[in-house]
Amino acid sequence: MATTQTTRRQIPEWLESLVGQLGALLLALIIALAIGSVIIVLYDESPLDVYGAIVEYSFGSAEGFGYMLVAATPLIFSALATAVCFKGGMFNIGVEGQYIVAMAFAAAAALWFDFLPGPLLMWAAIVAAMIGGMAWASIPALLKVRTGAHEVVTTIMLNGVAASLVAWIIGGPLRYEETGGGYNVNLRTDPFADNAMIPDLGHLLGIRPSVKLTWLFPAAVLTAMVVWFIMRRMRLGYEARAVGSAPGSAQAGGISIGGVQIRLFLLSGLLAGLAGMQQLLGDQGFLPVGYEAGLGFIGIGVAFLGQNNPIGIIFAAMLWGVLARGETALQIETDVPREFVIILQGLLIMTVVITYQIAKRRLLTRQLRREAEVEQAPPPSEPTAGDEEVAA
Amino acid sequence: MSSTGEGAGRGSAPPLVVFEKVSKRFPGVLANDEVSLELRQGEVHALIGENGAGKSTLMRVLYGMYPSDGGSIFVRGQEVKIASPRDAIALGIGMVHQHFVLVDPFTVAENVILGDEDGRVLHEEDAEAKVAEIARAYRFQIDPHAVVEDLSVGEEQRVEILKALYRGVEILILDEPTAVLTPAETQDLFANLRELRQAGKTIVFISHKLDEVLEVADRITVLRRGRVVGETSPAATSKAKLAEMMVGRPVLFSLEKPEVEVGEPMLGLEDLRGGKLNGLSLEVRAGEIVGVAGVEGNGQRDLADAVMGLRPLDGGRVMLGDRDVAGLGTQGIRNEGVAFVPEDRHEQGLVLDMTLWENAVMGRHDDLEFSRWGGVLLISKIKELAHRLIGEYDVRTRSIEVTARTLSGGNQQKLILARELETDPGVLVAAQPTRGLDVGAIEFVWRQILDQKAAGRAVLLISAELDEIFALSDRIVTLYEGRITGEYPPDAPPEEVGRGMLGDVSAEGT
Repeated sequence: MATTQTTRRQIPEWLESLVGQLGALLLALIIALAIGSVIIVLYDESPLDVYGAIVEYSFGSAEGFGYMLVAATPLIFSALATAVCFKGGMFNIGVEGQYIVAMAFAAAAALWFDFLPGPLLMWAAIVAAMIGGMAWASIPALLKVRTGAHEVVTTIMLNGVAASLVAWIIGGPLRYEETGGGYNVNLRTDPFADNAMIPDLGHLLGIRPSVKLTWLFPAAVLTAMVVWFIMRRMRLGYEARAVGSAPGSAQAGGISIGGVQIRLFLLSGLLAGLAGMQQLLGDQGFLPVGYEAGLGFIGIGVAFLGQNNPIGIIFAAMLWGVLARGETALQIETDVPREFVIILQGLLIMTVVITYQIAKRRLLTRQLRREAEVEQAPPPSEPTAGDEEVAA
Repeated sequence: MSSTGEGAGRGSAPPLVVFEKVSKRFPGVLANDEVSLELRQGEVHALIGENGAGKSTLMRVLYGMYPSDGGSIFVRGQEVKIASPRDAIALGIGMVHQHFVLVDPFTVAENVILGDEDGRVLHEEDAEAKVAEIARAYRFQIDPHAVVEDLSVGEEQRVEILKALYRGVEILILDEPTAVLTPAETQDLFANLRELRQAGKTIVFISHKLDEVLEVADRITVLRRGRVVGETSPAATSKAKLAEMMVGRPVLFSLEKPEVEVGEPMLGLEDLRGGKLNGLSLEVRAGEIVGVAGVEGNGQRDLADAVMGLRPLDGGRVMLGDRDVAGLGTQGIRNEGVAFVPEDRHEQGLVLDMTLWENAVMGRHDDLEFSRWGGVLLISKIKELAHRLIGEYDVRTRSIEVTARTLSGGNQQKLILARELETDPGVLVAAQPTRGLDVGAIEFVWRQILDQKAAGRAVLLISAELDEIFALSDRIVTLYEGRITGEYPPDAPPEEVGRGMLGDVSAEGT
């Protein structure tokens, strides 16, 4: 029975797909940079100098590299949060609200459990953040599964609610007690104990501690790998991809769509909860009012750029980090306004989405063609002995 | 009802369209390999062949959708280059595709004139009058004022044909026009086609349904793998001969039903209500195939969904043996040994963007055999399963790593059958199991279903193809408006079953 013709096999599917995706990414980058060059020239600057400065600020020094990784860290988490829902066919626009609530949870844990010794306090705060993110994400999840309310609407609404809720918490239950000499006009919480903070990693690499490169970056990379494993090698990911891609087939295969959606939203909320930790436990050490940094929304762009692939997201977030550093570079080194970076980010997302679609379609065409060849290649099989029995 | 020889006015007249060694190459596949063909005025010319034989491609070249890679096309003796459907229509060539392109909220007349409006101001009444006139001339039963979304599939198809006629088309290409029609609608279509032929139009009828071709065609051209393997007429050939030309080997149309002792009731449906189901009761016993015949839209989909726990019921019970499966859910019902071949394999069967091995384990992915430790999939076990299944069921593929989307319809159906039958189910629910498949694949699927009966399983066969129902069933029941309206032995005359399909309850009790 000539079926899988492993003998005639060229390159494996996954490699072909990987090469195609990297090619698409490269092409997208080139196009985006080319269009960006036009704008740079309009400012009477040399594109090479400007791009050179942007790259220099991330890769030219250990500090710059550290800053880039610091900027990438929260984006890895928020992009992963977006991506897991997206794989299940849902748009979680509520990462923003989820990480804000998670920050309040973590701050509360860091302040209330300050009797915990050593790193236990830090872990308590991190676990609290995960719970906070999941709790906030569970609202749109339950609304969707129980009532059919669309998650895009509910999560956007809940973002506003989250911001107000957390402002109230900071102004009320978690309001600072030390007045600090009267100059502290901003509402905020008390500073956390030192053992609530995530330990510094930078000094091991010769980067100043003030850069705030912590162990959270490797943790983010590890988390991305865990998410990859969940989505590709575990039941939840398998069911999520089936539900996201063909809900009817998934349901007929015995998968509970609502159950998958709730579990995905919880996972998404958990990841979202970690997005605020770099600022809260890596850098600031207290929670001020109005600390929403738009990480959730940027995460959507990063997830797109990484094509919702956890590993792709690591690199996409780092690219975003490079661009964030680029803002500083532009201000110091060139006459191009820093908003140029925002244009470049937009261009990148657009070009990546387009080139990926083209790459995907080409890959599909190639596979369709090869399958058609296989189907046509062997001569029509004679009825086999097994079949004969029925007819006889 | 043989229509052979009715199409008058042929013979010495020069052919209307001549294909001379036309080739069309897609990357890696030669879809048309030096095809030569003539279309004569006033004939129904059937173009038959298996899926992928190149029938549609050839006609898309004529309709200007694909450029040809070689050869020439002559229309009315002139060599032509047809670069777009607009060119084709200017030459009097129109095509109706398998998937209709109609604007649902528009009326019939609005759809017909869409893209061919005169001037800036719509003269809707003129258009409606003209559409009505064309419909009358060819005896098309259609109301120009009706809104398309309220129409049946057969009526929508009529609108598509009207669109072509409105543009003055002389040559009408119909791509698998009966694939979406009920038997009655098919007969209506054939009546329309005869009317058009009478008026001197030329019709190209692309199909792989041999009975229909023999019924309606004047001439038949058979394609296999991009080449013309023969040209014939209904009088000079037979179904078996055509099938052999198409497939390249003899094909069996009636399979011997295995003798099996009918056992205990395996599946009992009691007074099912909900959706289109309106008090449906039915029993299927071990070793028995019960065929549910009916015009589509009478509750077939709801019936299958109800058995599989995919839709809520307003009343009634689904019994497996003597166990009520209410509340078990789809997974629970599957675990009780019910396998499901859905009527729409893309919507309810496969996840097209997932790999073959991922699809092969769907429904069993949480078995201990395939996942452990809180949900880690045992990939190597799953791939082993996939390799075994595609080997046993002859799914032709290069690798189990490709997505299900890349497989042909026949191979997709084989994969579903393989997956569903692998679990050694007690009950098989097979809905429209051969829809869209070509002759070779149909034969394979039929054998598999008969194998299930031979193995003592209970099979609920739901099909709109009466051929299929008669070929496989031990008992035939008719479904009409959500209820069973009659029960017949497999040797009952088809007309009698047809009456049951239309709700004539007096036929009951044979």
